[in-house]
Amino acid sequence: MTPSGTAVEAEFTVPARFTLHTDQNPYLAPGTTRVDAVVTVNATGGGAPADAVEIIVVDCSGSMAGEKIRSARRATAAAIAELRDGVAFAVIAGDHRAQQVYPDAGTARADERTRAEATQRVGLLRADGGTAIGAWLRAARGLADRHPDAVRHAILLTDGQNGEDAPVFTRAVQSCVGTFTCDCRGVGTDWRVDELRTVSSALLGTVDIVARPEDLAADFRALTGAAMARNVPDLWLRLWTPQGAVVRFVKQVAPAVEDLTDRRVAAGRQRGAYPLGAWGAESRDYHLCVDVMPAAVGKKVRAARVDVVRGDGLYGDDALAEANVIAEWTDDASRSSAIDPRVAHFTGQVALAGAIADGLAAREAGDVPRAEERLDEAVRLAAESGHDDTARLLGGVVEVLDVKTGTVRLRPDADKAGAMALDARSTRTITVGRTG
Amino acid sequence: MTTEISTVVLCPRCGTSPVAGDRFCETCGADLRERPAATASGTADHVEITLDGGGAAVSDREYVRTRNEDAVALKSVDAAEAPLRAVAVVCDGVSSVRSSELAARAAADAALDVLLEGTAGEGHTRRAVAAAAAAAAALVPRGTPEPPACTLVCGVHDLADGVLTVGWVGDSRAYWLAEPGAAEPARLLTADHTAEAAAAAGTLDPALAAVRPDAITRWLGADGDAEPDLVALTPAGPGALLLCTDGLWKYLPDADVLAALALPALRSGGPHAAAAALTAAALTAGGADNVTVAVLPVHLHQEER
Repeated sequence: MTPSGTAVEAEFTVPARFTLHTDQNPYLAPGTTRVDAVVTVNATGGGAPADAVEIIVVDCSGSMAGEKIRSARRATAAAIAELRDGVAFAVIAGDHRAQQVYPDAGTARADERTRAEATQRVGLLRADGGTAIGAWLRAARGLADRHPDAVRHAILLTDGQNGEDAPVFTRAVQSCVGTFTCDCRGVGTDWRVDELRTVSSALLGTVDIVARPEDLAADFRALTGAAMARNVPDLWLRLWTPQGAVVRFVKQVAPAVEDLTDRRVAAGRQRGAYPLGAWGAESRDYHLCVDVMPAAVGKKVRAARVDVVRGDGLYGDDALAEANVIAEWTDDASRSSAIDPRVAHFTGQVALAGAIADGLAAREAGDVPRAEERLDEAVRLAAESGHDDTARLLGGVVEVLDVKTGTVRLRPDADKAGAMALDARSTRTITVGRTG
Repeated sequence: MTTEISTVVLCPRCGTSPVAGDRFCETCGADLRERPAATASGTADHVEITLDGGGAAVSDREYVRTRNEDAVALKSVDAAEAPLRAVAVVCDGVSSVRSSELAARAAADAALDVLLEGTAGEGHTRRAVAAAAAAAAALVPRGTPEPPACTLVCGVHDLADGVLTVGWVGDSRAYWLAEPGAAEPARLLTADHTAEAAAAAGTLDPALAAVRPDAITRWLGADGDAEPDLVALTPAGPGALLLCTDGLWKYLPDADVLAALALPALRSGGPHAAAAALTAAALTAGGADNVTVAVLPVHLHQEER
């Protein structure tokens, strides 16, 4: 029994209705092997709410003093107010170690009393000490481990750089993989986007800057609400490929780019599984690229079967939904050379994210020609795909001399928060509808 | 009968994996729904398909035509839940219309997809024909003059209850083939949708029908009437269901003659030999049309148990 083990009836998840949809051009030129497809995983119809754990980790290091810690208190209170009755929760104050703020140990079940108590404690948070993000994550993991079957989510807020040695931090992040999902927020401009992205990427969450402390409460409320709406705790994408096939990559391409290729775990004969984290009524897109053994012109093969399963059914045959990726060889070049519009779109979105990351890294390193070359490409890709948010953020970092040819010059006066927002949001993509 | 319905079909590509009711091989990914290898024109000139004991089909370009406009699709299923069934579809592209081989191919594939799923029966076959008609009609934009068109005949042998369900549109035919004096006598199962038949039924002016008596009155395609006719049969004895295009029956219309050609070959060499024997006979008889033949052997239902 956990200290928080009050009698709350377990609410078991009613499976949401999942559908998978493949967009691809199945036609290959004779002798070629590469098959690209975008698979959309969509769930509708909700189902019953699942047991959930919400852990809020607030940076209380000395630099948070003043408006930042006041906003963090308000934001944490807003997140607590958003918790559904019966959801397990805890608040951790982070400095050079992790201190549990509420409850005294373990997690509490949300009700009127616990929400009021927690809000009161949060109001007393003081900013004092260092930053040890790895230690905070380990503490969150300890709490998540008490609820193995729940939708487990954490919000991590920081305003500064991590003070831990890189290996300590990396090991801590790795130890949390698969135990909870984590949305990371940086307040102010003294934190590092790459550090928080390491956490959010490994823990299947998001990263963003909240430049103005007063916006924090709305953001925390939205994050908590979204976590509450998820009712499938542990979803996996499985990929069957034919004998002799090689998986080049598996990438989430919407709502944000996340390369899952190296997160494959074996899931039976010719089958691997990739973690997707918790899932609600939502839609995400995945770009798969597989090399298959070529067959004769006119032959058709299944290049991949994609399905989604729960974490406890990784090796079973109870897929929630499945879809095929097909390869068919033809000597009609007009068919084999066509690129599926959605595959093309997301290839462009991934290239856009890469161009921004490279460009900002070069800018940081003082390599102006390289930065301008890559951000130039980013401006063009953003304009082509109609990614207005990114185009606007790019405009804060570079001066666009010509949108069409994409000639840009770095702004010497670029706003730091703007550049960090561009970095943090560089992997966000926009989707396009299907034609025909 | 010497042939047996096999409940395990080996993958024709890698030959190793037992496959049960799946569209693609679980090892190499091969498309298990065997069908003509496509050439630049969309269909092959000579195609032979054999299911392990489950049936066979042969499609051949004969001497006059420049392209094989027929399409054939064949498959047996053994889904764990669904009853074992053998399914065949034969489509014949209308030769007066361009690209009709595409219509035949699309229609045969679409019909097969439906026939392999769900519960067999009249509604099931109607849905399959409707899907085939939609697939053929979708090949060209609405309003295209002389859109691609084809005929269709399909047969489903439900091995759980022994019922054969046949549906057709146009002049492709289904025959029941059996030994002379069999409990279920050999006969033509379908009635062609042709001008000649319409005139005989009083729905078409005989003078008009006389211009092209063999012109079809129903077909699959954007401008076609694709209402199928259906016939169901529970054979009282063993035999075979034959589906064929007019490339066979124009030369060999008689059910007893067809049975006499096909059944010895079926006994000695299986359904593929039967289909090949019929195709060869059509060629010998002076075949000037594409000929496509599918044979599904039918055992006595009681013997199955």
